[in-house]
Amino acid sequence: MKRRKFLKGAGLAAAATIGVPYLLPTGRLFALTGSRKANHVVFCLFAGGVRNLESIHKQDGNLMPYTLKGSESISSDIIGGIDALPVNTGLTLQEQGTLYKEVRMKYGPTGHYGSHATAMTGVYTGQNLDINTNPQYPTIFELYRKHNSPSMSAKNTWWISNSLGPYAHLNFSSAPGYGPQYGANFIQPSSFVSEGGYDSLGNSRLYSSEEEEKIKAIRGFCDAHFASQNIGIANSIANTEEEKKEIESFINQCFLDSGQFADPWSLGGLYNNDMRTVQFAERVIQEFNPELLVVNMSGVDIAHNNFTQYVNNLHKADYALAHLWNTIQNTPGMANDTILIAMPEHGRNLEPNGIHDEYGREALDHTNDDMSREIFALILGPNGVVVQDQVFSEEKGESIDIVPTIANVLGFNNDIPGGLLSGNVLTDSFY
Amino acid sequence: MCLSVVLLLSCHKEKNVTYELNDVNIEKDAANKDHLKSTLEFISIAYSDIFGTVIPTGSLLNLTETYKSFGDKILIEEMIIKNFLNEPVNLIPEIDKTSSLTIDIFVTDTYKKLFNRNPDEYELWFIADMIQRDSTVTAELIYFSLMTSNEYRYY
Repeated sequence: MKRRKFLKGAGLAAAATIGVPYLLPTGRLFALTGSRKANHVVFCLFAGGVRNLESIHKQDGNLMPYTLKGSESISSDIIGGIDALPVNTGLTLQEQGTLYKEVRMKYGPTGHYGSHATAMTGVYTGQNLDINTNPQYPTIFELYRKHNSPSMSAKNTWWISNSLGPYAHLNFSSAPGYGPQYGANFIQPSSFVSEGGYDSLGNSRLYSSEEEEKIKAIRGFCDAHFASQNIGIANSIANTEEEKKEIESFINQCFLDSGQFADPWSLGGLYNNDMRTVQFAERVIQEFNPELLVVNMSGVDIAHNNFTQYVNNLHKADYALAHLWNTIQNTPGMANDTILIAMPEHGRNLEPNGIHDEYGREALDHTNDDMSREIFALILGPNGVVVQDQVFSEEKGESIDIVPTIANVLGFNNDIPGGLLSGNVLTDSFY
Repeated sequence: MCLSVVLLLSCHKEKNVTYELNDVNIEKDAANKDHLKSTLEFISIAYSDIFGTVIPTGSLLNLTETYKSFGDKILIEEMIIKNFLNEPVNLIPEIDKTSSLTIDIFVTDTYKKLFNRNPDEYELWFIADMIQRDSTVTAELIYFSLMTSNEYRYY
């Protein structure tokens, strides 16, 4: 055989090997190029507008002792406004992953909703963003559910928000070809698992399986009569019948355990809404082992009128993030198989707004100046998958990079149609 | 003679006929419902259908916030109805199973109340037959089934 012919044959064989999908014993079908780095991703939007000066650059000391290495003292003039949380005696989060100190949200208004949409769609928003509707580009949930193989049900994807308003729209987009059929389960725990929520839903009629069969028969008959033009609720995700039962049972259990939501971390009066939201995300993680969960915090947004409470809530958000990571590492099915990504949606202005707090510090807005575009990103994961204790101090990465990075971790980034995303995978984080 | 016969057969007095129409109720049938109820409408109407009164403002606010804070609207609607149905006092009538006529009346009244229309013959037969054949099919089950069907979400 001539050398040229041998090489050609070997090349074709290699190409075929790469191109042919593999059927694993688990039944999962994927090509080698779509291999996963981990089977779960939790994206924590460390949101509300966090300035790098107070977080990564520690201008007022290390306010994030669970995340960042260092024992810099908190500035003496504000120390009285910072709540004492349990001291971190273990590894910091940055030691368990890769820290990007200078990420940028390069374009679009530095508003909360638009910046959330940017982080969750991987596309910068424009000035004409309509906060009363779903985002116009596919969310990470829809990309995952549409392009991951095999396709996954909504129970595998959760968007857990600490506030209502436009954030309820972020579980799916209005993009053609995507939409609610690929959306995530959305829940806003502080409204749902609350006194009002309990009054509304805490006294549920429980039907036996025989009764449910009869209901199914009658409802199915009615729906068949009505199916000619309308099919249920427009603009809503839908779980399967089986998964609806699981989720309903989970919610009913949450109401039964509602006492635990008062202070589940034994922090006394220090427990805030960010912590409540993260704690519910932990419940979902423990119950469903979702492949993709996004949760946000926003307590730091009090910075608009109280600087010291802003850094105090930053301090609490740091604790909540570490608690979330700790829960993941103690959850069977998620431990050592989860990538946690944390990133603020945007920063805050360099110049204060003139509102003084009781400690004499001036409050901060976020109105598109350069500093309000400066954020950080932290990627945590198992040793051997995520590079441990790695720090990038130079400018690297954008807020639109998180979506392609999540897609890469879960192995479907090459299946997303070209032109949808312009961000890059943060490859430096991974081995 | 012949002329007389022809005249007798051909001359009739013209009858004065008046044509009338029966009264017909004009109702929306299932095929014509294309407006999705808003959150407020769905909750308020469901409450009224079960309790026969207007929902108190505080309850409406609570339910609306709870509704908005959950993504799967079909599931949350089912849960809201289940909670309504579990209240000790409601206006859901018992089914009078003494005759097929009384069962038909229950089915017709239920369709009118929840779907704002009469059942067609097939619907009437299907539901009535189910009630007659299965003694465990209660009015509450019928109400829950209809109130969580697609048609109930539209007007």
